[in-house]
Amino acid sequence: MDDSQPDPGASAGGYLPPGEFIGGAGIPGTFAAAGRGPRLLSGGGRRATALSTASTLVVLAILAAVFLLAPGSKEVRHTFFSPHDMWQSLVGNPRQGYYSVGSALWLNIRMFLIAEVLILILALVLALIRQSSGPVLFPLRILTTVYVDFFRGVPLILVIFAIGFGVPALSLGFISLQSAAVYGVLALVLTYSAYVSEVYRAGLNSVHRSQVAAARSLGLSQQAALRHVILPQAVRTIIPPLLNDFISLQKDTALVGILGAIEANKAAEIFSDTVFNYSSYTVAAIFFLLLTIPLARFTDHLIERDRRRRLAGATQ
Amino acid sequence: MLTVATDSPVFPPWFEHNNPANGKGYESAVAYAIAAQLGFSKSQVQWAKEPFNNAYAPGPKKFDFDINEVSVTPQRATAVTFSNGYYDVQQALVALQNTPIVTKHSPADLKGYVFGDQVGTTSLAFINSKIQPTTQPKVFETLNDVKQALQTHQIAALVTDTPTAQFISADEIHHSVLVGQFPSTGEHYGLVFQQGNPLVGCVNKAIATLKGNGTLKSLQQQYLQDYLRVPVLQP
Repeated sequence: MDDSQPDPGASAGGYLPPGEFIGGAGIPGTFAAAGRGPRLLSGGGRRATALSTASTLVVLAILAAVFLLAPGSKEVRHTFFSPHDMWQSLVGNPRQGYYSVGSALWLNIRMFLIAEVLILILALVLALIRQSSGPVLFPLRILTTVYVDFFRGVPLILVIFAIGFGVPALSLGFISLQSAAVYGVLALVLTYSAYVSEVYRAGLNSVHRSQVAAARSLGLSQQAALRHVILPQAVRTIIPPLLNDFISLQKDTALVGILGAIEANKAAEIFSDTVFNYSSYTVAAIFFLLLTIPLARFTDHLIERDRRRRLAGATQ
Repeated sequence: MLTVATDSPVFPPWFEHNNPANGKGYESAVAYAIAAQLGFSKSQVQWAKEPFNNAYAPGPKKFDFDINEVSVTPQRATAVTFSNGYYDVQQALVALQNTPIVTKHSPADLKGYVFGDQVGTTSLAFINSKIQPTTQPKVFETLNDVKQALQTHQIAALVTDTPTAQFISADEIHHSVLVGQFPSTGEHYGLVFQQGNPLVGCVNKAIATLKGNGTLKSLQQQYLQDYLRVPVLQP
């Protein structure tokens, strides 16, 4: 918001109580005009911006000073942020006993992409079965309820162990000869589908029953109503929580390392245990941040777009 | 009090019954022998549990020294202080009976297998620098996971120090065999101290005394003698 617009906080004495930073943008009409939602730093004019910038800098400076002046600072900086070790772990050197954290990340990305697609499909099937009403499907509904309860309740790490060591031990030929990454993806899909099916279910429940009635009265079959009327509305509602689960999934691919697959976190652990320096974990953390932040910003963007659309619909 | 740390669980022949305080097993016996040289009675030694990858965390340590089959390397010595060696290590191969690697393990053959080992051990560097397999080895959190992977055929062989390999093949996995051990690369196990801890000087004197009077050798014969007669493989 710029200074030319009416600002109740500024005119009331130039000083804004904290609540007004957000409230200032809540004037009727400014949503549509600005086309954006309430922002943390909008409203309050230049003085508030300067104040918030100054306070942010002071807080950062204090944190930096505490970190740099602490008695063990040098040791901690060497152990976690040594540029030499960060570089070594980034490029890797198998003959010295460690692998590149950067190339190991490619395994995380592949596992994430494949798991994500499979989860979206399996979770939708689970949610549709749980939401079905036919009496014939009753046993399936019970089964999916048990499935969801089970996989939401058992720690993911146990599922990974059980699949990763259990399936090969069964000696089922081809099925028992897959790589650790395959078993890891399977475990991730089993567990995450249980969570995501509940997200789908919430979305399906959020579509008003009258929508089904309207679709059926237009002559659409049950399946066509689901496909063209219910699901599009349900999925739009759940995109933010879905993406939230996928941000979490990106990081949980690191758990597959316990099966012996060398993904980014495992590569970092191998490096640190080999040369006794944790800087490799910092490298892995930076990579995971680089992966998850774009997805988080994209989620924000979708939430914002969806909110705008709804508000636009409400005033028409 | 002298506080000595090691991992949990711990395995023979280094420790027995997962109890470092019973004085049995090579490393437990060595720790008490060093303590005695420093003037500590058995009751003045207490044990702390320290996972391998915590032993080199920055900041004050909760132990005077850590004894956990840690190999001494120059890189590691920049983060912690090591004592002189108390055991010279060789790497060995364990495989399941009747699997190809038991009979076919020429240097060229070895490159074709999938190996596994425990994270942080020097075995991984050994596999990659000496054996140079075509398939990336699998690296597990604990030795138990490596054994599990061997039993479920996810790896053709595991690589670990010879005494551990001997124990696994003789007592732990019944249908496994110790294929052989590789020639020494000069690797040895040392005690881990906080960087710059002056106690290391006294401990090194104690280790020198124990070497000189034959105590280390007799402890190796008592706890490791079964493990010292093993065929040699070429990587």
